[in-house]
Amino acid sequence: MKALWGRVSARPEFITLGLIVLLVLGVSLLEPRFFSPQNLVATIRTTTRLGIFALGVLLVLAAGGIDVSFTAIGVFALYTTTTLTLMFFPTAPFALMLIVSMTLGALMGLLNGFMVWRFAVPSLIVTIGTQYLFTGFLKTFVGTKHIMDIPAAMDSSGTASLLQFSTADGVRVTLPLLFLVLVVTAVLTHLLLTRTLMGRAVFAVGGSSAIAGRLGFSVRTVQLFVFGTAGLIAGLGGMVHGSLNRLANPSDLVGTELDVIAAVVLGGARVSGGSGTVIGALLGVVLVVLINNSLILIGVPSTWQKVVIGGVILVASGVFSKRSGA
Amino acid sequence: MNKKALLIGAGIIAVAAIGAVTYTSAQRKWTINTVVKITGIAWFNRMEQGVKEYAKSSGNNATQTGPAQADAAQQIRVLEDLIAKKPDALAVVPMDPATLEAVFAKAAARGIKIITHEADSQKNTLYDIEAFDNVAFGANLNKRLEKCMGGAGKWTVFVGSLGSKTHNQWADGGIANAAKNTKMQLVDAKQETADDADKAYEKAKEIIAKYPDIKGFQGSASTDVAGIGRAVEEAGLNDKVCVYGTSLPSIAGKYLETGAVDGIGFWDPKDAGIVMNKVAQMVLEGKKITNGMDLGIKGYNKVSVTKGAGAGMIIRGAAFVDVDKSNMKSYPF
Repeated sequence: MKALWGRVSARPEFITLGLIVLLVLGVSLLEPRFFSPQNLVATIRTTTRLGIFALGVLLVLAAGGIDVSFTAIGVFALYTTTTLTLMFFPTAPFALMLIVSMTLGALMGLLNGFMVWRFAVPSLIVTIGTQYLFTGFLKTFVGTKHIMDIPAAMDSSGTASLLQFSTADGVRVTLPLLFLVLVVTAVLTHLLLTRTLMGRAVFAVGGSSAIAGRLGFSVRTVQLFVFGTAGLIAGLGGMVHGSLNRLANPSDLVGTELDVIAAVVLGGARVSGGSGTVIGALLGVVLVVLINNSLILIGVPSTWQKVVIGGVILVASGVFSKRSGA
Repeated sequence: MNKKALLIGAGIIAVAAIGAVTYTSAQRKWTINTVVKITGIAWFNRMEQGVKEYAKSSGNNATQTGPAQADAAQQIRVLEDLIAKKPDALAVVPMDPATLEAVFAKAAARGIKIITHEADSQKNTLYDIEAFDNVAFGANLNKRLEKCMGGAGKWTVFVGSLGSKTHNQWADGGIANAAKNTKMQLVDAKQETADDADKAYEKAKEIIAKYPDIKGFQGSASTDVAGIGRAVEEAGLNDKVCVYGTSLPSIAGKYLETGAVDGIGFWDPKDAGIVMNKVAQMVLEGKKITNGMDLGIKGYNKVSVTKGAGAGMIIRGAAFVDVDKSNMKSYPF
């Protein structure tokens, strides 16, 4: 038993997977409809939106930092890109919009990284500050209005489907094409963390930046890299969110960052840094999405939903703390 | 007293009366400044149309201004500048009623009449104008939903947050209306959407998964119907499910056109702009607005007047605008 626990501890994503299985069994006992293909597709779709952001959060957490500004970066990149596109090039291809959005995101991320490194302030404080800064700047100088008439390429990419079928009830179910964006980003992030020198540097700095420095890793480069890349991923996530939502709303996303951070931590990344895997982070997201998306199905009244979500996260984190204590 | 004296006396009174009448109708032009939360957005551009229309028809000097950003401190600065110029009246849509109390008190002390809109908690106002009673508005939305659903079936209502007073009043108004019809079956009421279209979309999908025979949705946040509409459209249920809610054509238009959203409700800021200025003029002329009065604008033909948070009164109209695919083009905001 102890040996098994030891092996599971080394691969914390197994715990996340176990929790998912328990949750799925529990919910499907209460409501058999949970096992419908449409619910599976809905879960994958929501995972797409949160999962992209989670990959950026994972990078920062692995390097021992924390970023709460990524939602502000995402919505800033989305809204500014949409506004610019409508103003100068309404027929722009989607790929160009993604590049603009990711560039904006990377620049904002680099600003985070620069301040964390230059002023040696805890990244939590820096990113709380920049979250306000980015949102305030967006609403003051770019706009406050919902943009419903998004560029055509955004709309068509958001509605394009990878898979479509109808259920027995005559409900049409669509898996969005943009799910592939998550797949590609996840694979690239995984390769980055496991197969490159930079990946090793990220974990080294996250484990102990002093030791990493002595080993010859440049702490400055790592910090600029992780925050810049997290910003880039947030810019990508923002654009995907807007396209799937078919709406650019400057008030979106900000306020949901803790859901994503919780998901990544539930996937086995330590808040103190130095650990975490892509598969774990994605499983963590699936866990949080499943909790969020099954409450109506099992009939939890809306006033109780937050209580249940909080409770499940607490229980799950209890399981993880047992691991780190062992 | 002889007849002649009586005649002269009557003559004098008549002349004086005519003089008084001509004096009132040819009185000096009033200066009324309308101050909105933020300039340049569609909603308040629409209100400005109303202010301009009022200026033209009344001959008064009525203009609209406001801060360039939605910021309570900047609105105070705009108000301070205007108070220094001493207009006859200020018609204000407060960004945050509480922060404006002091500046309103100062204006009132200088003899400027204060009228507000969308600020039923404002103390230092003479009249606060509300477009409608929230419960009645919610009931009206639900009546339209009920009609679309053929008066029977499962329906639900979303709110932006359980803590939002207006959203809950709209939802409760709808629930109370549906409760009168036993064939209307409310399921999983008041799901929170955080004013986020995507949350509304996800919750709507979950509702559709749980109740494949769902017939109606009522939204509260302006983004609710956009999210619900997208879920309904994606599921291919445009003709089977009715969607109504508070929103604006600029937000729900796309889905009104495809039929995923069947109708929306709101109030017209243009009419609110006219009414604020009219009420300001009546106050300046020393008139009182009383319960049941007709202010001469559609939706404000029989206003209810109740006591407000301070010494002033709250004027409530029944100015909900029902919009669907057929008339959405008349409301470009």
